[in-house]
Amino acid sequence: MSAIDELRKAVIAGEDDAAQEWAQKCVAEGVNPMEAVNVMGDALRELGIQFQNMEVFLPEVLLATDAFKAGLKVFEPELAKAVQGDAKKEKVKVVIATVKGDVHAVGKDMVATMWTVAGFDVKNLGADVDSEAIIKAAEDFGAKIIGLSALMSTTIPHQKEVIDFLEAKGLRDKYKVLIGGGSTTPQWAEQIGADGWSKDAVEAVEVANRVLGL
Amino acid sequence: MTRKELLFKCLRHEETERNAWVTMAGVHAGFIKGYTADEVYQDADKLVESLLEVDRLYRPDGLILLFDLQLEAEILGCTIKWEHNSPPCVRSHPLEENMVIPTKKITREDGRMPLVIETARRIKAAVGDEVALYGLFCGPYTLASHLRGTNFFRDMRKHPEYVHELMAYCAELGTQMADIYIEEGVDVIVPVDPVVSQVSPKHFNEFIAAPYKILFDHIRAANRFSSFFVCGNATHLIEPMCLTGPDSVAIDENVDIKVAHEICDRHNVAIGGNIPLTTALLLGNQLDNMKAGIDLIDRMNTKRNFIVQPGCDMPYATPVENVIALSQAVLNTDKTRELVANYEMTDLDVDVDLPDYEHLEKPLLEAFLLDPDACAACTYMWASACDMKKHFGDRIDVVEYRYNNIPDISRTRKMAVAQLPSLYLNGKMIYSSIIPNPEDLIKQIEEVL
Repeated sequence: MSAIDELRKAVIAGEDDAAQEWAQKCVAEGVNPMEAVNVMGDALRELGIQFQNMEVFLPEVLLATDAFKAGLKVFEPELAKAVQGDAKKEKVKVVIATVKGDVHAVGKDMVATMWTVAGFDVKNLGADVDSEAIIKAAEDFGAKIIGLSALMSTTIPHQKEVIDFLEAKGLRDKYKVLIGGGSTTPQWAEQIGADGWSKDAVEAVEVANRVLGL
Repeated sequence: MTRKELLFKCLRHEETERNAWVTMAGVHAGFIKGYTADEVYQDADKLVESLLEVDRLYRPDGLILLFDLQLEAEILGCTIKWEHNSPPCVRSHPLEENMVIPTKKITREDGRMPLVIETARRIKAAVGDEVALYGLFCGPYTLASHLRGTNFFRDMRKHPEYVHELMAYCAELGTQMADIYIEEGVDVIVPVDPVVSQVSPKHFNEFIAAPYKILFDHIRAANRFSSFFVCGNATHLIEPMCLTGPDSVAIDENVDIKVAHEICDRHNVAIGGNIPLTTALLLGNQLDNMKAGIDLIDRMNTKRNFIVQPGCDMPYATPVENVIALSQAVLNTDKTRELVANYEMTDLDVDVDLPDYEHLEKPLLEAFLLDPDACAACTYMWASACDMKKHFGDRIDVVEYRYNNIPDISRTRKMAVAQLPSLYLNGKMIYSSIIPNPEDLIKQIEEVL
């Protein structure tokens, strides 16, 4: 099995040490870093689909994300060179946060990772972020998408609050607002006027591309 | 039969006269009385006052004392951040970088336990004969993740022995919480474990099932009922949860409750759920919530092993009238079906003359009600109006309109009354769903005398 296949296997298995080791071998063997990262991304997406189908669960996906990140770190210097050479191609900027009062960050971080894998320029604002701060960060960063996560039934009203604030400031049309999180539903998204909802990180990529017409 | 006895019948898996009904009013209880979430969860007087109002307005069969999954975490050293309109949240995890097993036990004196105990005692004394009290505590898996943070998920693969040990510790704390509730005469003991839905059946059986079995056996041995609350899509875990031996489980709208009920029925476990929290309760109107209740009851079509309840802890600012509407659907199902039909029929309006509010001879207090014979909140609203009549005598007029006959329905619509029950003074809405206190109402009437 080639180094790149072993790398894919390590991400699927959620083995961060192995992912790092095989990523180093890929670099040593001169594997194209973009190709290697794409393979890891495909592995993560594959696992994400299994997650959607409830064939694997949060711990497995979390470990696979760790493995992806471990591999990605190895390729980062190579990728930086590639990006410099391709500076004209501007990435779509997005911000993502877990709303105020909610400290749950696992799902939100997975979406951030998947969006990064998909080629977006992601600013992860963290968890328990005030609605005003989210909007300010989106403005400062020049984002086109605002991603809002909320796990608790008692905090999801803050997703609506961000949309209400955007409308009150006359900024609503400037952003696509995507929401998700354990207590959210597509009906809720529609009701609060969000531009999209996804049940997991894989779907979040599809939704982001769709709302941007990509 | 009291409401409590009806719920007990359901938890004994007997058929009930109507479906059992449990509100999930955590911080929402404070909202009813105008208290913020941090006020109501730190002040026994405010909490008791709020819970009594939940009982008075919504007439549940089971009353949740405190829906706060951070209580134990706070005692164990997690930093808590308080919010005005949601429960507190855990901001730090003491075991995040420190893989040890704590030894701290939960005692009656720790943290906010005195508040829990005082609340349980006072609520028990006030309404405990009528309504079953639910004592909630943080389930062991969620508590372990509070203590250890996200690393706890990684530990399941990398350090399984540690997970077993930490789960055993957290389950022991659960037993201590259960014992305190049992000693205080609480009727239904409930571990709430929202994070459980995130694991596979394999991991559930490996790490979670055994501690829960011990916990539920312990509660049963103390002659109390139990319930296992989860949130999120726990479809894949309904059967494993039943096998741990609770008397009931509770699920949210992510789970198909009809399918889940069939599984629970096979294990003779009752199931509670799963009125949508946001689309219906938070953002819907009264009709939406009556319909949500009626639709659920009709779809389930059973009075055995089924409890109507919101999918999880209700959002703080859930409109009171929506919960009243939901309670009507459960407590007076047939009448509510009629009300829903009345709401939906657009062609039954008849001509009614509204009073000339600008030229009234004396103040006019109008109560727009659902059905005061059936709706507790309507009864209180009407009683408030009648008290004013007693107080002011012939100096004011007081009238009631019921949403069960065509002229009154037409009048309610013509006045554009958004929520029932509502109280109008001289054609202007002064109270909607919230029952006024007499002093305030007297003052308002005196101002227009």
